[in-house]
Amino acid sequence: MFDLPEIPYLLTLLIVIPLIGAIVSLAMGGEKQKHAKTVAIAFSAVTLVLAVYLMLSNDYSVYTENYSWIETAGLKMSYILTVDGLSILMVFLTALLLFVVSIFSAHETDKPNYFFALLLAMEVGLMGVYMAGDYFLFYIMWEVTLIPMYFMISWFGGPRRHYAAIKFFIYTHVASLVMLIGIFALAFQAAQGGLVDFSFEAVLAGSGAFGETFQMLVFGLLFFGFAVKMPIVPFHTWLPDAHTEAPTAGSVLLAGVMLKMGSYGIIRVCLEALPQGAQQWQTIMFVVAIVAILYGAYACIAQKDLKKMVAFSSISHMGMVMLGIACLSDVGVEFAIFQMFAHGLVTAVLFMTCGMAGHNFGTREIPLLGGMAGKVPVYAAFMMFGFMASLGLPGLVGFWGEFGVIFAFYEYAYSIDMIWLIVFCLMSLMLTAGYYLWAMQRTLFGRLTDRIDTTHVHDVNKAEGIAMGIMCLMIAVFGLWPDLALSLISQYSTGLFGVI
Amino acid sequence: MDATIITNIFGEFSAMAPMIIMIIGALLMPALYFTTKKRGVVGGALVAFILVSLAVNVILLLGGYVGTYAGLFQYDAFSGLMILLFQIVAFLVALVCTSSIEVTRLHYGAFASLLLGATTGMMFVATATDLVVIFVGVELTSISSYVLVAMKRNDPRAAEAAVKYVIIGGMSTALTIYGLSMLYGVTGTTNLAEIAVSLSTAGFSWAFGIAMITMIAGYGFKIAAVPFHMWAPDVYEGAPTPVSIFLATGSKKMGLVVFFKIFLIMFVAGASVASFATVEMQYLFAIIAAITMTVGNVVAISQTNIKRMLAYSSIAQAGYILIVMAVMSEYALTGGIFHMFTHVFMKGGAFLIVGALICAGIGEKITDYRGLAKRAPFLAFAMLLFLFSLAGIPPLAGFTSKFVLFSAAIYGGDGATSQWVWLAFIAILNSAISLYYYARVVKAMYIEKGTATDKIKVPKAFLAAIVICVAAVIVLGVFPQIILGPASEAAAALFSLV
Repeated sequence: MFDLPEIPYLLTLLIVIPLIGAIVSLAMGGEKQKHAKTVAIAFSAVTLVLAVYLMLSNDYSVYTENYSWIETAGLKMSYILTVDGLSILMVFLTALLLFVVSIFSAHETDKPNYFFALLLAMEVGLMGVYMAGDYFLFYIMWEVTLIPMYFMISWFGGPRRHYAAIKFFIYTHVASLVMLIGIFALAFQAAQGGLVDFSFEAVLAGSGAFGETFQMLVFGLLFFGFAVKMPIVPFHTWLPDAHTEAPTAGSVLLAGVMLKMGSYGIIRVCLEALPQGAQQWQTIMFVVAIVAILYGAYACIAQKDLKKMVAFSSISHMGMVMLGIACLSDVGVEFAIFQMFAHGLVTAVLFMTCGMAGHNFGTREIPLLGGMAGKVPVYAAFMMFGFMASLGLPGLVGFWGEFGVIFAFYEYAYSIDMIWLIVFCLMSLMLTAGYYLWAMQRTLFGRLTDRIDTTHVHDVNKAEGIAMGIMCLMIAVFGLWPDLALSLISQYSTGLFGVI
Repeated sequence: MDATIITNIFGEFSAMAPMIIMIIGALLMPALYFTTKKRGVVGGALVAFILVSLAVNVILLLGGYVGTYAGLFQYDAFSGLMILLFQIVAFLVALVCTSSIEVTRLHYGAFASLLLGATTGMMFVATATDLVVIFVGVELTSISSYVLVAMKRNDPRAAEAAVKYVIIGGMSTALTIYGLSMLYGVTGTTNLAEIAVSLSTAGFSWAFGIAMITMIAGYGFKIAAVPFHMWAPDVYEGAPTPVSIFLATGSKKMGLVVFFKIFLIMFVAGASVASFATVEMQYLFAIIAAITMTVGNVVAISQTNIKRMLAYSSIAQAGYILIVMAVMSEYALTGGIFHMFTHVFMKGGAFLIVGALICAGIGEKITDYRGLAKRAPFLAFAMLLFLFSLAGIPPLAGFTSKFVLFSAAIYGGDGATSQWVWLAFIAILNSAISLYYYARVVKAMYIEKGTATDKIKVPKAFLAAIVICVAAVIVLGVFPQIILGPASEAAAALFSLV
């Protein structure tokens, strides 16, 4: 966008600054621990500024960093960091959410130094995943995100946190091991008996050696690894547990940027390196996407816990991302990426409102609530705004993602003469609007509930207000001016499928 | 670095220089304890001898020294690196054994002497080019370790462990010597290179088959490969923890070195002229590897005693390293050596923490570790690192070495993917299983609340050894080049022995 002067080692800084922040925060034990939040806010703010600076720069290619890391007779792994139209928004989203949840969690009083250290450690891994240009580094960073999240849930989570944390850990770890096998297969096949170079570039350069059967098999391995993270039905069962038990900040990051690692991986690895495999799996991708969208939406209707409902809505919305990817067209992928970004912004607001419900009202059970709008007007406004953005109200960011994906899907359905398929998408829109409005009606409107003691209920405090305000502003800005994001994405997606 | 400093002193015995120093130490220790009666003095001398020997070895290794003695020993990049491994193990054990309450006060001189003797045996195995030397080296180590296990005389668990160890060890010795004699009958020589050459022209014979089976069984006991693993958990549990470290990280590696020396040289280095049984042996080893890692990991899940759990996990780790024997490539050997090194630090580190906590009065049950993160934050964090490294979580050393080792099973050398992809698959699934029982310990330490809340104090020597292991686990994970380079040279050296 602008011709900004180059900052040396900018991408490494995006990883190192949170890392230093995590260590500093961890070191603030005893009396100093109440200042841990200041540390977290400061370090994440610096990271955010750098990420925005990067996003506004004209040419990212100057920022590519490439150093040889491990070199043996047969293997080569490098430390490669790079950004493009696909990763830049994810980097921005990670930095933004980290900053916002640091502000939001300012009232965290139980072991705050550990809490904020874990948050920043997560940022290290997430930044690494989105910027890695080498499979080895990618895998390492992928696993690095896992451990802080495990501790985040098991230390700061709800009553069933131990079960949820270990389930999350083992489920996603097994998936990433399957993914590792896929990565091995890619790298070794691409090398053709020569030097096995794990960089994305080298694998792409050798992708001519990927036969049809190979593409189908390896696509399956990698797709499984990424689909569990996304998560795609039927591999989603860890998600509701993890979300329900995780603290608010953990949920925001989990839904906002961690699930995106799955869809990012599918686009970055599966689509780029295995285009034929993608063709062979296209039908299955459509089926799982539509099942995820509808199953997620139906499950939302049945939920009594507000947070669990939002968790299932994530499954539904990530299904929308999958649907866009499955179209295997430029438009489909473009809006799938936009949907990833949009869902990241919106879901943050949703989980924050859920967190506040638990914190300020003492319960998240929808049937116990009612008529809260009169009691906590500011909270009600934020919640309505979030729900509206999530159900795709035009003018807000959620609309563009769904609109684009459905458009791409229509285009595809038209090309194979099966326009009736579009009914599923319309159903999902209806269901989404339905469960959100119903939930809103039951919690916010009507007569003030007498099932809980409402005398101590208090409205949004300053830190929460600032955090939610920033997110709502972003939702409105990108909703009214989607081209701000789309112009970046289209640099990546245009021509992606020109060669198939 | 120039190796002439050493060769000038030791002359034609340079190939055995590190061992000679250890032997001198072994002979001096009892006398030293007899005259001074102070554990600290003997402990200091013990560490000093190991460090001198280690320095000599490093100078030889960096100087690229290659030398033989009497056609029985050869010092090259492979033996040098393996000797270094055994010396590191001995150093870690020697560092902590003085301050460990589990090590007897009564015969401390003998303890120190036996420790050096056992290490010397391992080092001889590393340099051996002859079956007889291998046999003698293994016996030197075994007999010393029987006594080391039995030294806690008043503890019935130690006595039981020692008896088990002696009986099983005796049987394995009988099996191996029987196999060696059969092999001698078939080939007419005990020199490894000559055996390889002689076998390349021979056909199958029953004597050869029996030799192979008995030797795999006999040395399989040393590695604790399934189904020869039953003794390991009992012995590791019953022995004083420093001795458990020595057995789990040192003695086991010696068994693997024997496997590398005998079978790799016999079947691969000689296979340039096509050995007749190579493929069958590869499959046999692949099956042993797969069963070993699976049994080790699955049984580890149900353990409640942490030493037993670590013992089973150690069996599983040996299973991973046995992938080398299935793939039989130079690259796989590089990965195997790398994993042997990382295993020393992560498994050794985990056992060190167990030993340190025993000194502080904490039991061996996993439930005793509840709330450890509050009582001993550093130890809990170090344990977390070791366990995650064992499970293969990046960016720790265990991940990097497993990465290289497993990739060797997929990357079959020159050409497309190898036939051992299934083995890599099993290994990776096993890594996933292992995470479950390691995570249980982490959960006990960090999440569950214990009854006691007072801070734990452990001996400084233990802390120093643990710090070394933590540093190694992190540094080798991030800069694997440090050990990968020498490891690939070592692998090349072994393969060029014929």
